[in-house]
Amino acid sequence: MIAWQSLLMSLLFWIVVCGTLGLTLLLGGRGGSGRHWLGGLLSAAALIMLGIHLPWMGGWVEQIVFWILAGLAALAAIGMVAARSPVYSALWFALVLLAVAGIFLLLGAQFLGIATVVVYAGAIVVTFLFVLMLAQPEGEAFYDRVSWGWFPIVSSSLTAMLIVAGVAYTLSDLPAPRSWQVVADQAPPEAESVRAPQHMATLGGQLFTRHLVSVEIAGTLLLVALVGAIAIVLHGRQEEQEQPPAVREGRFWNE
Amino acid sequence: MNEWAVIQNYLVLGALLFAIGLVGFLVRRNMIVMFLSAELMLQGVSVSLIAWGRLHNDWGGQMLVLFMIAVAACEAGIALALILMLFKRSGQLDVAQWQQIREEGQAPFVDREIPEIREEPQVWPSLTTAGVEPEQDPEEHLHRSRV
Repeated sequence: MIAWQSLLMSLLFWIVVCGTLGLTLLLGGRGGSGRHWLGGLLSAAALIMLGIHLPWMGGWVEQIVFWILAGLAALAAIGMVAARSPVYSALWFALVLLAVAGIFLLLGAQFLGIATVVVYAGAIVVTFLFVLMLAQPEGEAFYDRVSWGWFPIVSSSLTAMLIVAGVAYTLSDLPAPRSWQVVADQAPPEAESVRAPQHMATLGGQLFTRHLVSVEIAGTLLLVALVGAIAIVLHGRQEEQEQPPAVREGRFWNE
Repeated sequence: MNEWAVIQNYLVLGALLFAIGLVGFLVRRNMIVMFLSAELMLQGVSVSLIAWGRLHNDWGGQMLVLFMIAVAACEAGIALALILMLFKRSGQLDVAQWQQIREEGQAPFVDREIPEIREEPQVWPSLTTAGVEPEQDPEEHLHRSRV
């Protein structure tokens, strides 16, 4: 049988409960702003409890910087998912990308941190905003405020919180992975390790010697995607000339 | 041992970002926000990959994230082209418009309650007219004043 006492005392249980309630209230759509404040408060409480649950990193500076960046990333992600207007969602996503770039820098992946800001936040989010400029109706569209009903909201929030709690519980329960100790014995030479001082040179060396085929395939994929995107638009324009599209304005989906 | 404790933090952060992206993908109906949630899931996985790469002292984590950025760019281009084509056909970014491709034997989703369209009170400042009236641009109605 479930030991109710130990369940109620565990921090992970309360993280799941607070997180699910917070996310459900934030994504509800109906109701006044009181719902949003309560949902935001519960989500922030769940995040703080999760931060307490995580093991100590061993240094004040690293731990506090991690908390700031990770908290910013999580709050911006929740803001992105709960925002009414998709333009706000895109802006929240840009904030998530900045926080994740900071996390990459903290992990020692300097090139990827800068590449995330330049490529993701600088090109992909801008493309999203262009498409929104072309396709978003003025004002709030009704489908941004309603969802598929209460069941998908509750079940997906619960699943998400169970995923996070499950990962946190499993990781805290495991001893240090054995392969780490094995690799430490056969560690690559100092110049080739992930923490090599010449980060860009070592990354370039690994990229173009060990992962050369992947680079070529990625280049081909980019070309194919470019041709494909243009072909889709041209084909659509051709079809439009043959049959004029039926553009209905503000039609609700009800039979 | 300390390294393992350090990496646990990043792995839980990766799981958190992935989970929030999952919620966004399943809950939202706007096609662009659904796609942004999928990108958020990719970000969570990237954090996890780099954390594992740091733990095992392996460059593979960072390499895979690099290729994921390239693939995500391709995917964004094609997905946005497709979304634009769908928008041209149906006039909306709503995924519920395309229910004819659902599974057989499943009832269509019907909007039970159509939310009321709230009219925001537009308060424009009013100034006393002075001077010469400027020329009206005859094509001004074609510009969108706000998004």
